[in-house]
Amino acid sequence: MKTWALVVDTWREAFARYTLLGFAAVSTLFLLILTFALNLDIVNGTLAAGSLFGRAFEMRHRTPEIETVVTSALSIFAGMLYVLGVFLSVFATGSQVPNLQHRGTVDLYLSRPIARVHLLLGRFVGAVTLVGANLLFLCGGVFLVLSLKTRVWNPRFLVAAALILVVFLSYLGFMYLIGVLTSSTPLSIMLPYALYVLSLPLAAHDRIAAAMDSRLGAGAIHALYWILPKTPEIGRDLTGFVLGKLAPSALPIVTTGAFGAVCLAAALVLFSRKNF
Amino acid sequence: MSRPDPAIAVTALVKEFRTARRRLRALDGVDLEVGRGEVFGLLGANGAGKTTLVKILLGLARPTSGAVRVRGCDPRRAAARARVGYLPEGHRFPGYLRADAALRLFGRLAGLPEGALDRRIPELLELVGLADRGHDRVGRYSKGMTQRLGLACALLDEPEVLFLDEPTDGVDPVGRRHIRDILLATRGEGTTIFINSHLLSEVERTCDRVAILHHGRVVRQGSVDDLTHPTQRFSVRLGGGEFPPDARLRELGAAVASRNGSYELDVPDLETLNRVVDLLRAERLLIAEVSPVRAALEDVFVAAVEAEEREPAPGPAVHAVGGAP
Repeated sequence: MKTWALVVDTWREAFARYTLLGFAAVSTLFLLILTFALNLDIVNGTLAAGSLFGRAFEMRHRTPEIETVVTSALSIFAGMLYVLGVFLSVFATGSQVPNLQHRGTVDLYLSRPIARVHLLLGRFVGAVTLVGANLLFLCGGVFLVLSLKTRVWNPRFLVAAALILVVFLSYLGFMYLIGVLTSSTPLSIMLPYALYVLSLPLAAHDRIAAAMDSRLGAGAIHALYWILPKTPEIGRDLTGFVLGKLAPSALPIVTTGAFGAVCLAAALVLFSRKNF
Repeated sequence: MSRPDPAIAVTALVKEFRTARRRLRALDGVDLEVGRGEVFGLLGANGAGKTTLVKILLGLARPTSGAVRVRGCDPRRAAARARVGYLPEGHRFPGYLRADAALRLFGRLAGLPEGALDRRIPELLELVGLADRGHDRVGRYSKGMTQRLGLACALLDEPEVLFLDEPTDGVDPVGRRHIRDILLATRGEGTTIFINSHLLSEVERTCDRVAILHHGRVVRQGSVDDLTHPTQRFSVRLGGGEFPPDARLRELGAAVASRNGSYELDVPDLETLNRVVDLLRAERLLIAEVSPVRAALEDVFVAAVEAEEREPAPGPAVHAVGGAP
C-alpha cells in the first residue's frame, strides 16, 4: 500500500507538472507523423514507391525488399529513440529527489511510519513505471505503425524499449545520488547529461589510452570506461540487433546496470543517514 | 506500582552541526520528560534549538549523543512513528495535490486502510474548516489554510503523540482559537501534545507544563501554574468614576495607573494591601476587584533568558542554531 501510494504520487506529480503530458505529446506527435505522413507502396514484397509529407521518395530504379527497408528503418528509429528516450526520461525525472527533499516537504514524508529506504525506492519504482509506460507507448507505437503499414513484423525492435529502460535505470540511480547529495534539480539533470557525453569518447578508451604518455592517465581512462555507463556500446549493439545481427553483448549492459545499482545503493545509504 | 513510561523521554541530548569552519551546538545536554496525556510546551527564542529537538524526536535528525524515546521506542525506527502526528514549521505540501489527495497520500504512508481514510478524510477536513475546499489544489491555499491542512494531516492516524511546531504560525485570531479548541479536544482523548512555540500567550492557554530552551539548554521547566505563580503583588481596581487619592496612596507604597476608564493600584505586599483598602474605604471609594498579580509566562520567559545571559551555565563555547544549517 505504501509503495503504491508513492507510485501514484510520482504519476500525479508528473501529470501536474506536465511532464507526463509533454512526454505523451512528443510520442503521439511522432506516431501521428509516422502514421499519416509516411506512405509506402509495396508491390510483390518490394518497395515500389513511397512519400513523406506528400513528397515522393526517389527510388532510382531500385525496388528494395520491403523487409530490408523496414528493418533498416526500425534500426534507425531504435538509435533515435535510444538517444531521445534517455534524454527525455532524465529530463522528466530529474526533479524527483530534490523536490522530495525540500525543507517542509521532506518532514511530512519522513515523519510517517515508513523507512527512508522504502520511501526512496518507492519513488524510484514510480519513476521506472512512468518512463517504462512512456517508452512502451512510443516504441510499441512505432513498432505497430510500421508493422501494420508494411506487414513486416520485427519484434527485435521491442528489445530497444527494454534496453533504453536499462540505460535509463542506470542514469536514474546516478540522478538519485546527485539529488540526495545536492538537492539540486539543475545538477540532477545536467550531470547525467555530462555523463552521457563523457561516455561517448570513452568507447574509444583503448585508442585514447594508447595515445597517452602517462601510464597513470591511461589507467584512469580504462578505469573510467569500466566504471561509467557504456552508452555508445549499448546503442551500437541495439541498432545492430534490430538489423538482425548478434544479440547485444552482456558486458556493457551488466556494467552499466552495476553503475546504476551502486549509485542507487549509495543514494539510499546517504538518504538514510541524512539529517533533515 | 511502577511509574508508567513517559510518552517522551530525552536524556542528556546533544546535537552538534559541523561545518568547514566551526562546530555549532544546537542542543547542549537537554533532559526532558513528557507524561502520557500531557500538553507540553517548549518555549524558546528563534534559534534556541526547539525545531532541532523536535526533529530528533521524530527521527528526522540524529543526535550527536544522548538518548530520546517516544513511547519507549527509538524514533528512528519507522514503526515507532506509527500513531505519531507531526505538524512541521513551514511545512510545504506538494502543490500539485488537492487537499483530500494530500491527506490520502500521507494516510496511506501511515499505513491506514482505504476504508478508514474514506471515513477520516472528510471528518478531518470538516474539523479544520476546509470541508468546502477539500478538492482545491494545496498550491492555491493561503498560509492559514495550509496550516489547518497540516493539522488535519497530523491528526490523520488518531495519534497518541502529537508534535506541533509553531501550530498557529500565520493563522488569524479566529483560526488560532479554532486550532486551540481542536488541541484541547485532542487532549481530551488522551493524546500527548508537544508544542513548540514562541507565542507565549498561546502556550500559556494550552499547556500543562512548559520548558524554556535557551542556546540549546533547558533553563526553566515546570507546570504553567508553578511558573506563573502568584507574586507578592496585588492589583486593586476601583469602580468607574472613582478617583483615588494619589499622593496618600503613593505614601503607602502603592502605584496608581489609569486603565480603560478605571484606576488600578499596584500594591507590593499583603500588609500594604490592607492599609490601602482601609484608606480607600475611609474615603468611601468603591472597590471593584482585588486580585493577586500572577507572573505572566512572558515575564518568566524573559527573566529566565536574561538570567541565563547574565550567568551562562558552564559548557563548550559554541553557538546554538535552529534546524540544520
